Amino acid sequence: MKGSKGSGARWVKGAVFAALSMVSSHSWAGIYDDGKVFLTGGVFTVDGGGGGGAVPWATITGYETRDGINGGAGFTYVSLPNYTLNFLGASVGFFDRFELSYMNTKLSTNLGNVDTVALAASLLNLDKNLGLDPNGSNLHMETYGAKIRLFGDAVYTSDSFLPQTAIGAYYKVNSTKEFVTTLSADKAKDYEIYAAFTKVFFRYSTLVNLTVRYTSANQIGLTGFGSCEANHTNCNNDKEFRMEFSTAYLLQKNFAIGGEWQQHGNQQKHRPVDTGDLLSTTSANGATDLVHGVVGNVVGGVIGATALSQSLTQNESDWYDVFFAYAPNKNYSLVFAYLFLGDIAVAHEQNGLYFALHATF
Amino acid sequence: MKSFTRNLMVGAALSMAALASAPSFAGESKTSPILGITSSSLEEFGGPDGVRAWVESLFYYIMLDNRIAPIFREFGNVERQTFLNTQLEIMVLGGPNEYQGASMSAAHADLGITMPQFNAVVEAAYNACERNVIPYHTCNQLINALAPFTRDIVTR
Repeated sequence: MKGSKGSGARWVKGAVFAALSMVSSHSWAGIYDDGKVFLTGGVFTVDGGGGGGAVPWATITGYETRDGINGGAGFTYVSLPNYTLNFLGASVGFFDRFELSYMNTKLSTNLGNVDTVALAASLLNLDKNLGLDPNGSNLHMETYGAKIRLFGDAVYTSDSFLPQTAIGAYYKVNSTKEFVTTLSADKAKDYEIYAAFTKVFFRYSTLVNLTVRYTSANQIGLTGFGSCEANHTNCNNDKEFRMEFSTAYLLQKNFAIGGEWQQHGNQQKHRPVDTGDLLSTTSANGATDLVHGVVGNVVGGVIGATALSQSLTQNESDWYDVFFAYAPNKNYSLVFAYLFLGDIAVAHEQNGLYFALHATF
Repeated sequence: MKSFTRNLMVGAALSMAALASAPSFAGESKTSPILGITSSSLEEFGGPDGVRAWVESLFYYIMLDNRIAPIFREFGNVERQTFLNTQLEIMVLGGPNEYQGASMSAAHADLGITMPQFNAVVEAAYNACERNVIPYHTCNQLINALAPFTRDIVTR
């Protein structure tokens, strides 16, 4: 079962890249299409699909119209006080109707308290794999997405309030299972589905998008799905509907400014970082092994003195961002944004810069 | 003879009725964008003369675009197109309806216009706005008013 899932994931990845290489090949000139109007396919979201920065729109990625195929690859870099994120992915739109996407996400932490836990765990030769690295721990996730436009039109039916409406799904595979378990998440991989509604109001040169996502993700899945009490007990992975809103005001035909709001759950709130017995000082002091006794006493002393376990309580906030997007031509777009991501896991007030490059073929 | 006279009278009455409801030459009517367009749109385009200048720029960019120029070269008399488009654009921008051409669907029915070709004209429209120093937001009022014609024009 596990193997078949893995091969399925590989198949999707293969299909995306095969489709990509097809659209960039001249032999496919008949089906290749870049006839869409500027920026109306959206840019490159952190989940890989077409949309804003974090919010998927009902628009189909790429510059194809209903007559062809188009797609692209993108890179996004996010710099936060305690985290650095790299997103590398690709997406293909088919006939302005259907899209497939893939995203590879890596989050590097720069957290003194977590590093300390990692160091203590390695000094104590802890049996339990916490998935932590004393030199900075990483989270890694792959996201496979598909979206289909159902009805409505965002751009051309300016005489109707009916928005362009699409539904989509993501399957997210977090390959740092031990780390997300340590962060008290229930699952490391899960799906989420969403419905998106997009409309351009030319009267005000403004695009408005509303998305409803059915998910149990913590921090879009980077810190897993659902949550558990200590020692992976009383787990809960109930999905819920969350709202996302995105708006873009066009200053020029190829330049937009805007903002986004993405509702997040808070399932890991007050959940301790689940280190098993590591952070209870009795256990550290109670180690009978001679060597561990010494190390355990030292570590236990440090943990007690610095109130480390208290500093490891988690919280999650809704995400906000303001951005500007610029598409010099139909072959690439650049997005600069400032993110207000609030509290992420054990770090507070994670506000920082976002840069995305989306190359389209 | 009697029936001929009667037919003539009925015909006259019908054409009178047609005249009363709309100008007999109007082949197309104003679109109704959901949020309307700004009332000063026609003025911001520079009035009827400004619209005429914009349409000339539009066809300048259309004829430079290999994706669409052949269609206009084959099926459209550019001079007549410029004349009719000026009337059409003045109408949708809130001016008087003096449009003398055919309806959008009749005029494009046999051309098999595709979405990429239509969008190429949209690009030419934005380029024409830039060339004529018409602000982007004013330009969008025209795009707003013309967009509903997409379904009449794009038939393939």
